[in-house]
Amino acid sequence: MNGHSSTKRAVLRGVYEDNLGIPRSCRGKGRSKACPGAEQRPEMFGKIGKIAVIGVFALLALLGFNFRIVYLDSFGPVAMQMSEEQVPPTPVASAAVQGTPIDNSIHDIDLLAGSELTPLVGATTGTSREYDAMLSQLGTPVADLFDLKVQTIVIDPGHGGSDPGATGHQGLKEKDVALDIARRLRDKLVAAGSYRVLLTREDDRKVRLKERVAFAKENHADLFISIHINSVPAEAGPVNYVETFYFGPHTDQRSLDLAEKENRDSDYVMGDFREIIARIGDTLKTEESAQLAASMHRSLYRNLKRRSGDLMDAGAKTGPFVVLLGVDVPSVLVEVSCISNKAEETRLSTPRYRDSVAGFLETGIVEYLKRRTIRTEIDGDKLPNVAQQER
Amino acid sequence: MSPSKKDNMLYVGIDLGTSRSVVSASNGSRKWVESYVGWPKDFVAKKMLGKRVLFGSDALEHRLSLDLSRPLQNGVIKEGTARDEAAVHELIGHLIEMAGAQPEDEICVAVGVPAEALKVNKIAIRDTVSEYAKKLMVVSEPFSVAYGLGTLDNAMIIDIGAGTVDFCIMHGTVPLEEDQRSLLVAGDYVDDQLFKLLTEKHPEADFSLNTVRKFKEKHGFVGEPKRRVKIEAPVDGKFTEFDVTEEMRKACESPMPAIVETAKDLIASFDPEFQEQVRKNIIVAGGGSQISGLDAYLAEAMKDFEPCHFTCISDPLYAGADGALQLATDMPEEFLEKL
Repeated sequence: MNGHSSTKRAVLRGVYEDNLGIPRSCRGKGRSKACPGAEQRPEMFGKIGKIAVIGVFALLALLGFNFRIVYLDSFGPVAMQMSEEQVPPTPVASAAVQGTPIDNSIHDIDLLAGSELTPLVGATTGTSREYDAMLSQLGTPVADLFDLKVQTIVIDPGHGGSDPGATGHQGLKEKDVALDIARRLRDKLVAAGSYRVLLTREDDRKVRLKERVAFAKENHADLFISIHINSVPAEAGPVNYVETFYFGPHTDQRSLDLAEKENRDSDYVMGDFREIIARIGDTLKTEESAQLAASMHRSLYRNLKRRSGDLMDAGAKTGPFVVLLGVDVPSVLVEVSCISNKAEETRLSTPRYRDSVAGFLETGIVEYLKRRTIRTEIDGDKLPNVAQQER
Repeated sequence: MSPSKKDNMLYVGIDLGTSRSVVSASNGSRKWVESYVGWPKDFVAKKMLGKRVLFGSDALEHRLSLDLSRPLQNGVIKEGTARDEAAVHELIGHLIEMAGAQPEDEICVAVGVPAEALKVNKIAIRDTVSEYAKKLMVVSEPFSVAYGLGTLDNAMIIDIGAGTVDFCIMHGTVPLEEDQRSLLVAGDYVDDQLFKLLTEKHPEADFSLNTVRKFKEKHGFVGEPKRRVKIEAPVDGKFTEFDVTEEMRKACESPMPAIVETAKDLIASFDPEFQEQVRKNIIVAGGGSQISGLDAYLAEAMKDFEPCHFTCISDPLYAGADGALQLATDMPEEFLEKL
């Protein structure tokens, strides 16, 4: 009975996710209700305003100046007012403000004190609330707002070398399965699109969590995907489930335990944590990580369920994994299935099954990237590609 | 479930079919209409008919005065046909009206559409429905049937409609594209075959596609006949009796090889561990499931492959709409809020 209701719940979630993924066209003549988004956005944030704002944002961020943001109720788009003593007016900034009457009734929000693009896209701790408020006023995901492209995907096969991770009853090791799936996923992603796909380890060697994070940063990763295989204590019985994490507080004790296990040997010191904890409010990362996690999880669970009838869905959720926290870009840690389940271990030992797993992960990633494209297209004309310009 | 979910909300399940469209609502209303939509050709027709748009048998009856559309012919809205999109739009509005929706009702609709239409016309269908509903979901017809029957795991649904035969394997999640197949040899194809066979054998008789469809719905069978099939058709204005048993069998059996092969192929692609369960749990739905002797015929045809068990559902007309209604009603509040 319980099984049936959990199946039903999974099915309902699937229908919900499928329908969330259906974009709405805006061509219904006179059918305003067909495009609810269209009712809210165009007046608030027109194309010209968007481009002007993006240009100014990018330039100022690159120049490293402090600035304040002024939100105009009547205008909708956002105009900027420089902090006079520090920011000389630039031609671009002037152009953006020209023709935009400054209304005295506007709210004046101190936005950022930072000097890099990163805190512009993701909020800093001191001003994250105001920044979030601004983003919610814009009504569009940050990645779409700045039309951020995905070029480099870093895949992180968990464990390796002297750290085998979990080991199954028949001796199959998590480190080997994770590496094999990661390699297959890389090949599939390379074949699927013009992505640069890198692995944090290409062979059976130990890589510390800090090194994995540094690798992603050095290579300007746009997405970071960490692959692990779960294991549950024998007393839990022969359970088998899929779960996917993006960074955030733990949602249950099991997630916390798992995070503790995966965080072992992180090589971080307290000082590092202060710095990286400051990034928790990173709006871009959170939004996109959640969507990437949902897409990968859905593809993996639905497809593996066909091969393993007893597979359970532990969901896509937040978890305090250090490797996810350290990376600045959308990042996901997927626990593919449970190696502690004998039948699943047998399946995982076959190349065909591992290839299927890699295929399902690829489908989830590609689906996420496709949806991003649709979102961007539906939001209107493309905006300048800040990420590319920056690079 | 919060009380607000139930208080103001009218839940509506719609089966948007090629031949018939059906609505089932949480207020107990269950109605159907043939999927024809017609607009008066000119102001004279409009004045004569007294309506802006006509539906179902009403539209068929006055087809000479109307621009008639059967919007989901072949299971999809033809690309670029604004008229067919408009017809779907009118049809959905009509079905919701038939369900007895009140102006103050907040409407939550789940629409089942042919599997191919879900793939090809997802956005168009969503747009047409969204005008009428506060919350809406679009799913494939075989899936809504499966949901209504509670066969969510290790089962196969074969939905034999007018435009398409849709296959769908259920495995505890929403079916993926690889779990579904569609064939275009369906009810309309059988009608065409029967019409051709009858007009070839009895050129003197006056058959129309519409009357042939009615003969099929009344006398259609596969396998060994239980009785002779005799119908009446006009010859020079005089109704004459014809024995059409062989023609009826040939026409009704014409899509069977494709159905059998597709079923085999889909089962073979499923996890071997669960194939036996699927073989024992094949549900046949849609208007075509009413063809006499179908379950035994399919079981016999699959015998060489592996023993299979087919069950034809008892209420094919409402199964899709009832399933869609069930889906809308069961959808948790937290999901519904975002749809």
